[in-house]
Amino acid sequence: MSVDNVTLQIFANHCSAAAETMARTLLRTAHSTFVRESEDFTIGIVTPAGKTFASPFALGATWFVGLDYANALSLIDEYHEGDICLTNDPYSGFVCTHSPDMHLWKPVFHGGELICFVAGHIHNTDVGGAVPASLSRTLTEVHQEGIRIPPAKLYRRGELNEELLRILLTNVRMPEQNWGDLKALAAAMNTGERKVHEIVRRFGVDTFREGAEDLLDYAERQARNVIRRIPDGEYFFADYMDEDSDGGYPARIALNLVVDGEEITFDYSGSDPQLASSINIPTGGDERHVLMMVGLVYVLYTLDPTILRNAGLTRSSRCVLPEGSIVNPRFPAAVGMRSLGTVRIMSTIFGAFAQALPDELQAGPGGGGPLLNVRTTDNRTGRRVMANISPITAGAGGSAAGDGTEGNGANQAFFKNTPVEINEAETPIRILEYSLSRDSGGAGRCRGGLATSMTFQVFSPHTVLTARNRDRVRFTPWGIRGGAAGKSSEFVLNPGSNHEVDLGNTDVVTVDPGDIVRITAAGGGGYGPPEERPAEQVLGDVRRIFVSVEGAQRDYGVVIRGDSIDAEATARRRAEMAAGRGSGFFGHSAARVAYETRWTRRAYLRLHEMLGRLPVHWRFYAKHRIFESVEAATAEGEEAADEALEQAYARLLALNPELGNALDPVR
Amino acid sequence: MADPETRYRVGVDIGGTFTDFCAFDEHTKQVHALKVLSTPETPGREVIEGLRQLEERFSVSPPEIAYFTHGTTVGVNTVLQKKGIRLCLFATEHFVDVLEIGRLKMPDPYNLKSRRPDPLVPKERVIPVRERMRSDGDAEAPVDEKSVAEAVERARALGAEGIVVALINAYRNPAHEREVAALVRRLAPELPVFCSSEVWSIVREYERTVTAVIHGYVQPRVSRYLGSLQEALRDAGVPAQALVTKSNGGVMSAEQGRKDCAQMILSGTAAGVIGASHVAGLSGYPNAISFDVGGTSADVAFIRGGEPQYGIGEMIGGYPIYIPSVSVTSIGAGGGSIAWMDELGVLKVGPESAGANPGPACYGRGGDRATLTDAFAVLGYVGQVDIGYRAVRIDVEAARRAVGTLAAPLGMSVEEAADSILRIAVSGMYLEVSKLMSAYGVDPRDHALLAFGGAGPMTACFLAEELGLRDVVVPATPGVLSALGGLIADLKNDFIKTVYLDLEASAAPSIREEFAALRERGARWLRDEQGYEGEPHYACSADMRYRGQSFEVETELDAAAIEADDVDSFADAFHAAHQRLYYHSDPGAPVQVINLRLVAVGRTPKPGFAPEAEREGGAEPERRIPVYAGGARRQVPLFLRHRLRPGDRIQGPAVVAQEDTTLCVADGFTGRVDGYRNLLLHREGE
Repeated sequence: MSVDNVTLQIFANHCSAAAETMARTLLRTAHSTFVRESEDFTIGIVTPAGKTFASPFALGATWFVGLDYANALSLIDEYHEGDICLTNDPYSGFVCTHSPDMHLWKPVFHGGELICFVAGHIHNTDVGGAVPASLSRTLTEVHQEGIRIPPAKLYRRGELNEELLRILLTNVRMPEQNWGDLKALAAAMNTGERKVHEIVRRFGVDTFREGAEDLLDYAERQARNVIRRIPDGEYFFADYMDEDSDGGYPARIALNLVVDGEEITFDYSGSDPQLASSINIPTGGDERHVLMMVGLVYVLYTLDPTILRNAGLTRSSRCVLPEGSIVNPRFPAAVGMRSLGTVRIMSTIFGAFAQALPDELQAGPGGGGPLLNVRTTDNRTGRRVMANISPITAGAGGSAAGDGTEGNGANQAFFKNTPVEINEAETPIRILEYSLSRDSGGAGRCRGGLATSMTFQVFSPHTVLTARNRDRVRFTPWGIRGGAAGKSSEFVLNPGSNHEVDLGNTDVVTVDPGDIVRITAAGGGGYGPPEERPAEQVLGDVRRIFVSVEGAQRDYGVVIRGDSIDAEATARRRAEMAAGRGSGFFGHSAARVAYETRWTRRAYLRLHEMLGRLPVHWRFYAKHRIFESVEAATAEGEEAADEALEQAYARLLALNPELGNALDPVR
Repeated sequence: MADPETRYRVGVDIGGTFTDFCAFDEHTKQVHALKVLSTPETPGREVIEGLRQLEERFSVSPPEIAYFTHGTTVGVNTVLQKKGIRLCLFATEHFVDVLEIGRLKMPDPYNLKSRRPDPLVPKERVIPVRERMRSDGDAEAPVDEKSVAEAVERARALGAEGIVVALINAYRNPAHEREVAALVRRLAPELPVFCSSEVWSIVREYERTVTAVIHGYVQPRVSRYLGSLQEALRDAGVPAQALVTKSNGGVMSAEQGRKDCAQMILSGTAAGVIGASHVAGLSGYPNAISFDVGGTSADVAFIRGGEPQYGIGEMIGGYPIYIPSVSVTSIGAGGGSIAWMDELGVLKVGPESAGANPGPACYGRGGDRATLTDAFAVLGYVGQVDIGYRAVRIDVEAARRAVGTLAAPLGMSVEEAADSILRIAVSGMYLEVSKLMSAYGVDPRDHALLAFGGAGPMTACFLAEELGLRDVVVPATPGVLSALGGLIADLKNDFIKTVYLDLEASAAPSIREEFAALRERGARWLRDEQGYEGEPHYACSADMRYRGQSFEVETELDAAAIEADDVDSFADAFHAAHQRLYYHSDPGAPVQVINLRLVAVGRTPKPGFAPEAEREGGAEPERRIPVYAGGARRQVPLFLRHRLRPGDRIQGPAVVAQEDTTLCVADGFTGRVDGYRNLLLHREGE
């Protein structure tokens, strides 16, 4: 580092102040409630090479630490003072990760020389495309996800590019809101430019340039110091999304984490081929792509909250991202719901690190609850109402330090809910229950945090519920070191009635007047053997209605009679539990255990090896056909044998002669 | 001239460590100030001690005290130290996790282990009652008396010392809460009961519930405390009825405070800002940033047009409280902030603080880690004269030793290291204050920095330079601004009615009627509860928003327009307020009125501060002292504050020492003592 350590700290504070000022200018002037309430935006200062070195401390989306603009920057031929560039194309430069994210950047010059960029993005509520809000899991091509603008100048030397703006606004559903938010972001860019000039005046241009690089180096060295504390080794973990498409097969993310001294490799070979649904994560194969690094940033920051959060943090780490996979899809795969994929990437990373640092990290975070939107009609006014009901959230996993937080936490801690009273006043629905879901937390010496649960009734025909990001019915948050998995998420229509319907992972459903809907997320995983949880604590959980009397007995071996513990029965039951306990590190749901009995790591290796032989556009289809054949040919509780896989593959080729041509075009 | 019986007005602010006294003499128009040690164990004793000293040192005799205001941290401390009563919460069945769930968001969302503090009422003491009120105010299900009886029984079994009743949609219709409360009073007359709709009736169940819980949690203790204070005053022969300062910057009778203690949680802090805005106004700065720096933290507040900014949702020990309050933001930087080096050798200051105990190394109370105050001691600013009523002797050598432990690894001289600590601390303050400035849209060029507290005047000039401010004001009595603020404050109470209406012509009559009802409540409060006989003043406002927004903008409404049912003018006022705050508005969009609000004010007689004539010519320095600045030791003049007279001028660099703080006048600043003995520092801009 070339700037002295005292000046560097002062410089860091001034750069942070500039980023904070930009963020607050944006928050104060953004038009859409969405930007202000969900804080789904980023803002920062970026080196000429595209590396973000300063950003606000606690404002904005938590997923974009050290966002790398390098590729996007290079897609503009020439920069001039007053230019502001824009892109929202997930396939041009791989800074934008789905079409609603509108990214802007502005070059800052000093004495005619480019010294940095100021940059940021906002999530627009809608950018056109097949569905309102532009996002749905069912979409299969990025073309359906709204207008895409490759890197282009929105302002040229300070002049608005009206043509570009008109094209953009013609293609969206709420043009005024988009333009209002864009103006606010552009104003934040101008504020940032002014603040950069102030910093240059105070510190000099050389210190500014060197200081920016030094801050990246500083974060890198801090990260290396943290990584050094992590025991060297290879840590494998796989996690799944319940469905790779509407009603489809599981989607698998597999990670081989290699820690070597101060460096980390994340090898995603073994993850599923890209999907014909929009859960893919558009990384362009960038080995430090920001979405692939969120989990690492969480882990590093949790281990050392004094680290600077900038692009330097991830420099000593890299990913292996096979082309044509979920984590590196080929154009034009849909990517709109990459948030679901990214959340699963994170849980996979947490699972791998938990093996390396079991005393410090947590069991699987709860989740799988949706962002819930209701479109209905107010019977009194006849007005059509569309409202975001609360995100249905769940608590953190347990850890050596204690129980997971209830209702929310870990990597979902940024969520905010909508109060029951606001929902009822704004939307013609009645909420029958909003509470923590009893027994939902994974049992453990330290219990997983409970999930929230909401039950509500609608009163108008053609009421449409959109439940984005539904997951974790089958593959639930895992426990560690003897802790149990969290309970499944639920989405049930008319629970307890004679017309109850399990909606599973459905993401859009139309309901009728009088219908009652219950949604519950999946609870966090537990830590440590549940029979070691002090019985008094379990009794306390029963009194808090966090655990039922039956749950106490079944999951914790604590027998409660009346309001007290039956010590003798408890000791007996607990001894049985301890005796029957296996030695595995992870505690998975019965559904996952059953699934992995058939689809072992070995079976997956074979499967991916076969799919790897096929052209990318065949793989998703082929995966489904092979699954069909293998699941028909393999009995419950049996591994998918090599022969079954070979037969399935042969059958696929036999039924699809075109595939043979594609494999060997010469023939 | 006032008669002898009404000669003195006394303001007292009881803090954790010190209790400040401010006595205004109506005869001489002089303010006397002093500090005594607080006695949290025996509340009231410090007041007696302070009154004794006022009499001894300034001949203020208790029977001549005609006006007595008082701010206290007893409410806040009850929350911070978790010493409130054992509460049970009665909540609507199926919504009993309202405190656990909160609004979901965790304090530090980047940290996987971030958590909120445990609720003040743990879940095992949250008891469901069966009832349901709808959002339109009609009962969906009546109160099930049996469930209340069971709840009371359980509360007793759990050893409850008080009950909070907070039911869904009570903001719309409090009937169920009242019914439940009445049942509780009948079944368990020994238990105090608090209803969420009576503490502060806002929409949003978590916000209303957590506010009622904080209220109930502190109420018995605050009430006891105020009772013993009233008694102590009577015993001391003070004829004045005690008033207490409120979070909203006003005052109310101590008797009222015993009931409405949620209103006085931020008592002392708010009064400090009132005092600050008064001083800034007198000195000709209607726009100011109030900067109160203590040992561990700095309180920042914005004053615009002579008025503090108000808000809701202030944090107390990690819990938000939704009572209209003077907006004060606490940042983790103070005189006791500890300097340290991270493992990469980068120097940091704070947020860890040496606090009052052991305090900075130079206080000689066992602290050995370098703090910001130690840096000032090494540089030569602090330690030139004894700090009088703090009874602290500055041990410069101890400061040098502490700073020296950092200097060696930094490869610097002790002075350079101290200078680095100062610059890093100031840049950290700059970061935090500039965040607030951009959030409020404050233009630095027309604001002054009003610095007080022990460490405020030390850092003020340096911070002003970073922030681009031209003016710094150091009040004549920087140590007792909260006590002073209490003397300035008016009787003031907030009233709210949640209406949740679409802003249409048809809504006008009910808005008019609701305001009339609020005005009636305001009049009763002033007349019957405060015994106020003067002209009442009312300010009407409404919390409005565009349909679909999830937050409201408080919009002032004109009383005549309310009478005239002029809803268009309400909408215009809202569009204008929205434009002012967010730089855009949407005059075509539908507007909702969520709350109607009324502030009832009874103006109290103000101390008649009169400016003294300014004398010509510069002040004589006490002596010259060696101060390390700009890379070298130089001789700079040292002034004693109590010797400075109106009109005196000072040229930076200089040091002004006074009993409770030291002012560093940086190079480039020129100072003048104004007619109120406030020190005004100014620097020319670039």
